[in-house]
Amino acid sequence: MAESTYTCRWCRMSTPAADLTSCPTCGAPVDVRDMVSRSGWYELPAVPDMARLQFGRSYCQIEGAYVPVADFNLAAEDSVYFAHHVLLWREPGVNVSAMSLRGGWKRLFAGMPLVMTQAQGPGHIAFSRDAPGEVVPIPLQPGTAVDVREHLFVAATGQVGYDWFNTNVWFQTRDGDDTETHYPLGMFMDRFSAGQQPGLLLLHAAGNAFVRGLAAGESILVKPTALLFKDTTVGMQLHMEHPSGTWRSWRSWGERYLWVRLHGPGRIAIQSAYDHFHDPGSNLSRTSPATVWRW
Amino acid sequence: METAQRIECQWCRSQNLSTARTCDTCGAPLDVRNLVSDSGWREAPRLRDMTEFHFGQSTCQVEGEIVPVAEIALAQGDWVYFEHHVMLWKDESVAMSVMPLKGGVKRAFAGMPFIVSLAQGPGRIAFSRDATGELVVLPIHPGQELDVREHAFLVASHSIGYSYVRIQGLKNILFSGQGMFMDRFLAGGEQGLLFLHGYGNVFERVLQPGESVLVEPGAFLYKDASVTMTVETQKLTTGLFGGQGMNLARMTGPGRLGIQSMYVHHHTD
Repeated sequence: MAESTYTCRWCRMSTPAADLTSCPTCGAPVDVRDMVSRSGWYELPAVPDMARLQFGRSYCQIEGAYVPVADFNLAAEDSVYFAHHVLLWREPGVNVSAMSLRGGWKRLFAGMPLVMTQAQGPGHIAFSRDAPGEVVPIPLQPGTAVDVREHLFVAATGQVGYDWFNTNVWFQTRDGDDTETHYPLGMFMDRFSAGQQPGLLLLHAAGNAFVRGLAAGESILVKPTALLFKDTTVGMQLHMEHPSGTWRSWRSWGERYLWVRLHGPGRIAIQSAYDHFHDPGSNLSRTSPATVWRW
Repeated sequence: METAQRIECQWCRSQNLSTARTCDTCGAPLDVRNLVSDSGWREAPRLRDMTEFHFGQSTCQVEGEIVPVAEIALAQGDWVYFEHHVMLWKDESVAMSVMPLKGGVKRAFAGMPFIVSLAQGPGRIAFSRDATGELVVLPIHPGQELDVREHAFLVASHSIGYSYVRIQGLKNILFSGQGMFMDRFLAGGEQGLLFLHGYGNVFERVLQPGESVLVEPGAFLYKDASVTMTVETQKLTTGLFGGQGMNLARMTGPGRLGIQSMYVHHHTD
């Protein structure tokens, strides 16, 4: 008789179904029904306290509910890398070293972490971020990649490749002789990819996390600071709306809304608690390719 | 002869009636198994909404789960002390005074509360801090000494002595992220109750003599006085850009160590 398997609704990985309470690849619970809003957003199920995610000969245990901790038990041949300020604790035996990154000046200028830190097993090392929310595990199959907004990355296994790219979503304002360039999504985004081997990527979403799939050509407007990750196939562009009933003064606060337009095909994910993006309200002098709507 | 069966609380070791669902001393659920990670960290018990427990002749009730409130019904003659900005509300009948502290100038200089307030029963008074987290209830047994990072203390019962210890070593002061002082709480002849607020989730681990773990300094919450703390710096370099330093606190047993998962990261050069 064939062994029954369980296919996770979140990461689509299939595993033997015996005695599962959570998916061994991404930690999503198996005993809750999908929480899908009428508008099509799938609420990411919180990883159950103490769930284990297996990778290679190592595993990651998710601990806590408000600000969850990702506690890696690394085998000798496995490694993870992380931005050094998310390290919560480690055993003295875990070897930690710097992983150099290309484009150091640009990263420094853009406020992105200059040093990515690598930890080599054997031993335990644990990470957490600084806001209530959820750990979002993203298992990456060979040949797949995701784009992640900056400063949301927690850790990735050694098999996951890391790169970054210019978002090309920006606008310039002019105030007298001063010109300032603003980046609603940040100047750069992280790109994580799996080459020949599968890998595990962990993000931290502030608040709750929601995912939806966009069909080819389908688009949605999202607050830029709420974007968590997207498939590399999803395009993005600046979008501005001018509400009716407003008037322009020497400063135009309240005269425009700034969004990012995401267009499919592919998955997008957002977080419900986001940073406020400060729009200085000054007149725009230049923008990246953008759509504009006046009500 | 019939003997009443008792249940020991796994968090504070107090004895409870076999019919109890929560510990009468610290409020920890008695009918929920401990959550212990494979690496040995135990989650602080998540106190059920509206749980009640007792100290002296007074009663404490915990309200809420995301930013919990500790509401205390003070009996006549009982009193508690606290940093004045953590008081949420109180009955008019609760008398207020201040606790005289030594070294006021040093404390003010170090950013620690210059005034610790006292509230005396009868009446109700409630406390909470300003961020998502957990209420950590720690009964302090006679002779025990506990060190707590500054500004994590919520409220303590009158039988607990309060002092502060200067963190030893310039490197520890500059890079540990704790400031110059830690609060020290000690019980003399009588058990007392100490309430902390941990940001995010709180985990506790018991270190054996000589056993050590490296902790992000901003995550340190409390420790037994027997646990030592030293700061270690690791330089992470990437050639031309010089890289960054990473400071971690090496905590060495024997004793309990408590950490919080949401912390302020302290920048290094």
